[in-house]
Amino acid sequence: MGTLIVLIVFALFITAILTGGYNKEAIEKFKKSKAWDWLTTVDHKKIGIMYFISGFFFFLIGGIEAIFMRMQLIVPHNDLFVGDTFNQLLTMHGTTMIFLAAMPLLFGLMNAVIPLQIGARDVAFPFLNALGFWLFTAGGLLLNLSWIFGGAPDAGWTSYTTLALNDYSPGPGIDYYVLGLQISGIGTLIGGLNFIVTVINMRAPGMTFLRMPMFTWTSFIASALILFAFPALTVGLLLLMFDRLFGANFFDHAMGGSSVIWEHLFWIFGHPEVYIVILPAFGIMSEVISTFSKKRLFGYTSMVFATVVIGFLGFMVWVHHMFTVGLGPWSNSVFAVATMTIAVPTGIKVFNWLFTMWGGQIRFKTAMLFAVGFIPTFVMGGMTGVMLALPPADFQYQDSYFVVAHFHYVLVGGTVMGIFAGAYYWWPKMFGKMLNETLGKIHFWTFLIGFHLTFFPQHFLGLFGMPRRVFTYQANVGLEQLNMLSTIGTIGMVIGTLAFVFNIVITFKKGAKAPADPWDGRTLEWSISSPAPEYNFAQLPLVRGYDAWFMEKQAGNKEMPAAEPLGSIHMPSPSFIPLLMSIGFFVSGFGFVARGDYSMGILGLIIVFIAMFMRSFDQDHGYHIEPHEIEEANKGVKA
Amino acid sequence: MAAQTEVKANPNMPNHLETATLDGKNKVLGFWLFLGAETVLFACLFGTYLALRNQTMGGPDGQELFDLKLVAAATAILLTSSLTSVLAMMKMNQLNYKAMQLWLGITVLLGASFLGLEIYEFIHYVHEGHTFMSSAFGSSFYALVGTHGAHVTFGIIWISTLMIQAAKRGITKETAPKLFVSSLYWHFIDVVWVFIFSLVYLLGKVG
Amino acid sequence: MAQQPNTSNHAPSGSSESATKHVLSFLLMIALTVVAFALVMYDIVPTNMILPLILVLATIQVFLQLFTFMHLNQKGTAFYTIFMVTGILIAVVSAVGIILM
Repeated sequence: MGTLIVLIVFALFITAILTGGYNKEAIEKFKKSKAWDWLTTVDHKKIGIMYFISGFFFFLIGGIEAIFMRMQLIVPHNDLFVGDTFNQLLTMHGTTMIFLAAMPLLFGLMNAVIPLQIGARDVAFPFLNALGFWLFTAGGLLLNLSWIFGGAPDAGWTSYTTLALNDYSPGPGIDYYVLGLQISGIGTLIGGLNFIVTVINMRAPGMTFLRMPMFTWTSFIASALILFAFPALTVGLLLLMFDRLFGANFFDHAMGGSSVIWEHLFWIFGHPEVYIVILPAFGIMSEVISTFSKKRLFGYTSMVFATVVIGFLGFMVWVHHMFTVGLGPWSNSVFAVATMTIAVPTGIKVFNWLFTMWGGQIRFKTAMLFAVGFIPTFVMGGMTGVMLALPPADFQYQDSYFVVAHFHYVLVGGTVMGIFAGAYYWWPKMFGKMLNETLGKIHFWTFLIGFHLTFFPQHFLGLFGMPRRVFTYQANVGLEQLNMLSTIGTIGMVIGTLAFVFNIVITFKKGAKAPADPWDGRTLEWSISSPAPEYNFAQLPLVRGYDAWFMEKQAGNKEMPAAEPLGSIHMPSPSFIPLLMSIGFFVSGFGFVARGDYSMGILGLIIVFIAMFMRSFDQDHGYHIEPHEIEEANKGVKA
Repeated sequence: MAAQTEVKANPNMPNHLETATLDGKNKVLGFWLFLGAETVLFACLFGTYLALRNQTMGGPDGQELFDLKLVAAATAILLTSSLTSVLAMMKMNQLNYKAMQLWLGITVLLGASFLGLEIYEFIHYVHEGHTFMSSAFGSSFYALVGTHGAHVTFGIIWISTLMIQAAKRGITKETAPKLFVSSLYWHFIDVVWVFIFSLVYLLGKVG
Repeated sequence: MAQQPNTSNHAPSGSSESATKHVLSFLLMIALTVVAFALVMYDIVPTNMILPLILVLATIQVFLQLFTFMHLNQKGTAFYTIFMVTGILIAVVSAVGIILM
């Protein structure tokens, strides 16, 4: 019955789209509305904002899940969230934070900033960019709907088999995990591919590779990692789906399968994933530290080199997540050495940041505070990382809170602080308003102190033997005080995040209008108005060196030199097909989760194929913005 | 025909129509990147298959199942379709619309016959008791070869779609990059097949 | 590099190619395939030599495809090659990792 209703609704939906609607006037009105504009946009700046907003939304959800877990662990033998509920919370917290918060928040910044930094009018594939965003959103929604329909996944964010197979996880939870991540993973892959082509083909005249800003560089490498890492996840999820839904035997030991294959596939993807979320954060730090120290980034070339090396080595170390599987001393030794090698390029980066600040005119704006707070926090996470890289020691640490402390130091201390720094830094360019500095400083201090209070004790909890992923612990074995401390620490992070939310709200209501270049910036995005106009650059800029905009300012120029005369600018037209295709995937995913009857799943795929045909036959000539319109817009800005 | 007028109207068409515009360049580069990702995807499937290929759980193994004559025929067909695909691209760059459509048509037909052989082969295997659910060997075999087959199916549909577009619009700066990347895709399918016949069928026959 | 954003690194090579080249490399591919099949069907070499040999033959054939049919030999394909080679490298490492378990 439910399937039938969905079938009818979607048949109506499709006819409405194809015929232009039953009520022409209402459709016309809707098509002119802001909502339709955002739903069909292919503008990288709007897509960036949408990525950022949905990423932040999922960040809040993941945060609430974390708070629930800490509330359960505040005292021994607590009974607030036990058993399956706790497992669901911890699984969804990890999955949400990695896939649905960290990546889209970074993608939001990348979308908003990269084309501006390389002096391009748009990304290489505006259509695919929109498609990537909507697929991610569809996957994220599907994953989170599991809370309401049938129960959330509960086999950990790594979803190891055999635990994740039907016998041990009978509900639909893991199906949501498999299909939700598959759909959002395809979106991420498309997004990454788009950024690589953008950086290679769309750079402004004179913007050579070694003049590219550091954030563009790190995002470029992170995108390459996405390109090569996500296929492994795709395969892993596909095989797990086959095992769970179609009776295959990849991971079922009784039928000759091997659960180690899942671990391999997951970590071949999973380790590069760690660098996918940390490298863009490194880039943000480089931009922020250089700008607010008023100095050229120290050792730019070595920074680029280090980024490339980290990216490459990121693929050669995945077995360090599997030291205790028993792959043998050879395998463990090789991967241990490779893992420790990564500390070298990362060390290069840390020293370069310190030397950039050395002797600079440092201004402690909120973005810079986050960058400065990031360095020691991240270094601590890196140190425990090297400790974990030693196989004999890892046998002691594995599956304890020590590991939890380690990766939160790296992911919160690195990625989340990086995202916050980037948000404060680029907010004016994205939204045209300045975030409040006082609230920003409250945000930084409460968040930083709360973070360390939460996670520093967890190192010791781990060393004292507290296992991760377990919903309770014994009294009188020395775990009470540290757990209590850890839970109290979350209050700081909550206050910090609330301060950020409050800051956003009051900024939208009555924030100061941002000037074009509020921070005395160095890179191209600060040479145009805030927020950037639809076409980004009225004339493509001519880049004459690294830190192109700062160079021109030093030379006394008020604007970037133009590489072309003012002319009409070609823009891609908006399209609803990305949204339609993502809805198709969403319906299909939902159909496959509801086992037994696959008609809805197949219907979804049919929608996808119809959308693909529509796109293929669609001749998109776009539209043009004429020079006089650009001049009028410029006058408006100056007046 | 739209195509002929197109040819006469533009005597100074560049030699490589597919990368004549920025959009075309983006498309071709983007597609190469996609193929890089596909390489990793197939590598994971190959790894899984090779790790599990001896887990037949008492069912028939590769040595009993595989018929090398059938595989040789399928290989010859797919290799030939790769040649016809590259010839079509050559004709496209010479703006020879009719010859291009002819070669593309042959490519699609060869692809379809390859697919027919594969379906016949799969049905035969199922009768022998070698199914997707019978063992880890079965699952990984059908996952790998089936994914390749799905790629062939998609390629056939895609190239047919583009033939219709070319018939409507002729060889233009918009259609050329699409045709070119579909041909890259087709070659890539052939590359994957080279490893499938080597590592699945030939190695399976050796034991 | 003047009007279009960075297009110089993908300048088309401009050489028009002949069908002969493609047919020749096609025949070579067929020959390599025949050799691979013959190695397995008739006992020409010891069994433990077959796997390395067919792997070598397959690799040669793939490079033929990449450099003739897919035109990686032409100018302006540096980025395609870089990403393809990286992809192949990661693919090999991953596949070998899974197989060795």
